[in-house]
Amino acid sequence: MSDDPRHAPRARHGRAPDVFRPGGWVSMKEYADHETVDFVIVGTGAGGATLACKLAEYGFSVVALDAGPYFRPLEDFASDESEQTKLYWTDDRIVDGDNPLQLGSNNSGKAVGGSTVHFAMVSLRFRPEWFKARTKLGYGADWPIDWREMWAYYTEVEQALKISGPVNYPWGPPRPRYPYRAHPLNAAARALARGCEALGIGWTETPLATLSAPRGLAHPCVYRGFCVTGCSTNAKQSALVTWIPRALSAGAEIRDLAMVGRIETDANGLAAGVHYHRQSKWHFQKARNVVVAGYAIETPRLLLNSANDKFPDGLANSSGLVGKNLMAQANQAVWGEMDEEVRSYKGPPSLAITEHWNYEDEGKDFFGGYAYMSQGPLPQLWANTQATAHGLWGARLVEEMKRYNHVVGLKIVGEMLPQEHNRVTLADELDQYGLRIPRVTYSWCDNDKRLIDHSIAFMSRALGAIGTKNIWVQEDDTCHLNGTARMGDRPDSSVVNADCRSWDIPNLWICDGSVFPTVGGANPSLTIQAIACRTADRIRTLSRLGEIRLN
Amino acid sequence: MERALGAPKVAGSKGERARAVQSASRSRWGETETVMAARRLNRAAGTLAASVLVDSAVEHYRGSFKNKAMFTPLVVAGLTLAMSLHGTADMRPVAHRARDTSYLLAAATGLLGTGFHIYNVTKKVGGLSWQNVFYGAPLGAPMAILLSGLLGFCSERVRANGRQRPRRVFNLPAGETVATVTALGLLGTTGEAGLLHFRGAFHNPFMAVPVTLPPIGAGLLAGAVLNGGGRTRRLARRWMRLLTAMGFIGVGFHAYGVSRNMGGWRNWSQNILDGPPLPAPPSFAGLALAGLASLELMREARDA
Repeated sequence: MSDDPRHAPRARHGRAPDVFRPGGWVSMKEYADHETVDFVIVGTGAGGATLACKLAEYGFSVVALDAGPYFRPLEDFASDESEQTKLYWTDDRIVDGDNPLQLGSNNSGKAVGGSTVHFAMVSLRFRPEWFKARTKLGYGADWPIDWREMWAYYTEVEQALKISGPVNYPWGPPRPRYPYRAHPLNAAARALARGCEALGIGWTETPLATLSAPRGLAHPCVYRGFCVTGCSTNAKQSALVTWIPRALSAGAEIRDLAMVGRIETDANGLAAGVHYHRQSKWHFQKARNVVVAGYAIETPRLLLNSANDKFPDGLANSSGLVGKNLMAQANQAVWGEMDEEVRSYKGPPSLAITEHWNYEDEGKDFFGGYAYMSQGPLPQLWANTQATAHGLWGARLVEEMKRYNHVVGLKIVGEMLPQEHNRVTLADELDQYGLRIPRVTYSWCDNDKRLIDHSIAFMSRALGAIGTKNIWVQEDDTCHLNGTARMGDRPDSSVVNADCRSWDIPNLWICDGSVFPTVGGANPSLTIQAIACRTADRIRTLSRLGEIRLN
Repeated sequence: MERALGAPKVAGSKGERARAVQSASRSRWGETETVMAARRLNRAAGTLAASVLVDSAVEHYRGSFKNKAMFTPLVVAGLTLAMSLHGTADMRPVAHRARDTSYLLAAATGLLGTGFHIYNVTKKVGGLSWQNVFYGAPLGAPMAILLSGLLGFCSERVRANGRQRPRRVFNLPAGETVATVTALGLLGTTGEAGLLHFRGAFHNPFMAVPVTLPPIGAGLLAGAVLNGGGRTRRLARRWMRLLTAMGFIGVGFHAYGVSRNMGGWRNWSQNILDGPPLPAPPSFAGLALAGLASLELMREARDA
């Protein structure tokens, strides 16, 4: 039988791969399809894996399915950018709108562990005011959760991932000390720092989900730089090496290469289980509760694809908001060259950050904020960027690549505003499972453009201030996807409540970045995991109160 | 340690020492004790120098000897180690000019090195920040060779006392002076270990040991200087032996730390550089040996 995890599932026969030992296995509880489990979770990324772990630890029976393979990072990951595109979700999709999104590396993952397997590990807390963006800052929508509650859950996730961060964080209300110390800065990060000091704004070491000291069988980071192509040393604290091993030891089952196509509802209009495709066959897993954690495209797609006679517009969609308010984050960059060698690919790509423009509201002609970070593009990505965004080809491209070791860049993660016409709908085309593929429509609004312009002007000044030459701007890039099933206080203006529970179907939950009403100017993974921890606690509380279907 | 350094018979076990004392003529026994005290300090200075020699070799190799001055501590620590071996073996009751010179050189190197390291840290973006004290040149490290030089220099001054009582260095009581230098050294070395173990987030509970035991030792030495009772000295002596052991056992813990990096000991050529520094912990042993020597000097001065 093939050992390629993309062709044959690995988590079977009562065992799952031990990601810490080459060729090793850990035992795994298994449930039959006809056994009704307390929770079936669709997706094992930042939302699904975290929730699966917490719910299993709270004693619920849990099966978590993922469409992607169960990789062994120590054995399956090559130091090769092309090979590692196997981590991205590259199934057929249609993108349109004024600013069609480029889907793949920056915003998807198809693996157990989801996109955390190749994320940039940037683990930021939201600015407290963002949770009341409408009331306090005058844009977007309010979250139904108080920031102080989130602060406690952020702490829980930071501890669970042993985040390496600065001793003192310069922005926002006090937070507990990061469990591990910050990593040493590379030259690209020091360039960011010098630019910030020249312009008189603060900077710090980026809080990162990669180890700066040993942790169990995981080694500290060796700074090889292949972070966003999948870490082969397990220093990266992805869901695959943190929440999922915990979930397994607490009794959860992980089912890899299991693509969920439809959620079934029963005569009472409650979720009854999920139809999933595994090993060339469709199966049906019965469950008392269904959690959708497929991220901002697959989550609405599944809800819409699950439409039936009782719910003709798709599940949990009485508000009509499923698929709407999709929010990417702006990811523009300014690049240049230094006289001295920078070798920005060494170490994690974003070792230094400034959140100045997330916390400073004076002098802005736009709503929202942005952070910007130092960059470390690997050579193939860099050649692609030069060929596409910079328009170089032939001899000019070759010349430019010779200066790769001198490249320095700054890139934002910028807030984009929720708009209903930015959305995920179903196209008529079918994918390899026979499921309707998603159509992703995206257009920037004027506020998005003003934010981008502000960031480009500021970062250009920052690079100019440290003597960078040949500065150029990468104008069109986005990262992360959120929204499409927002949480809120009212059934007519949101899809789920603060507990990630759908208003329409009380045993249907959504737990991933889809529930974000706004995205802020910060990478979303920490917030997704914090929300999942909160959801698990709320489920435990509600079950004690008898308010959850458990029989 | 003494035997390992190939010292002559007199420096051996208690029995041997007693026989040596007995065999000395009545008029010379004081001199012999003086020499023994001095040799103990030579031994302490040598242990520190050995730690500095290997540690600076590894760390400066890691830094690719980018600046030629980075060879200095290797040369000076090597010389100090050789002179300390010489002193440990030397039974003559007179200070030795070459040893004196090299110990002074070591002390000066320590001061100069500290200056270099401060310059290295403060010139980085962020200045005197956690990032730079964690990952820049370690500010406290050159102090070890300064301490080695100071203790060695004290050793020569003790040796120069001959039969004069009470023994003095720099016109100060010898035992008390060495104890004070040692206590300060222990506190400084604790600061260094504390900083680097904080950088490692104290991820292993044993990392708290070298920031807990040495300050207590420093306190006991201070107590011995200030109140001078026999009980305090005895407790301090036991604690110094504990610290000596800790210094060598620490190498084992650091070896385990090296194994926890990617590739473990199979990847030794990378992990010895990136893991915890193997030669660092014995600097505590060197100081503790000096502490023992100072306690002995104080005992002889006060109980005589």
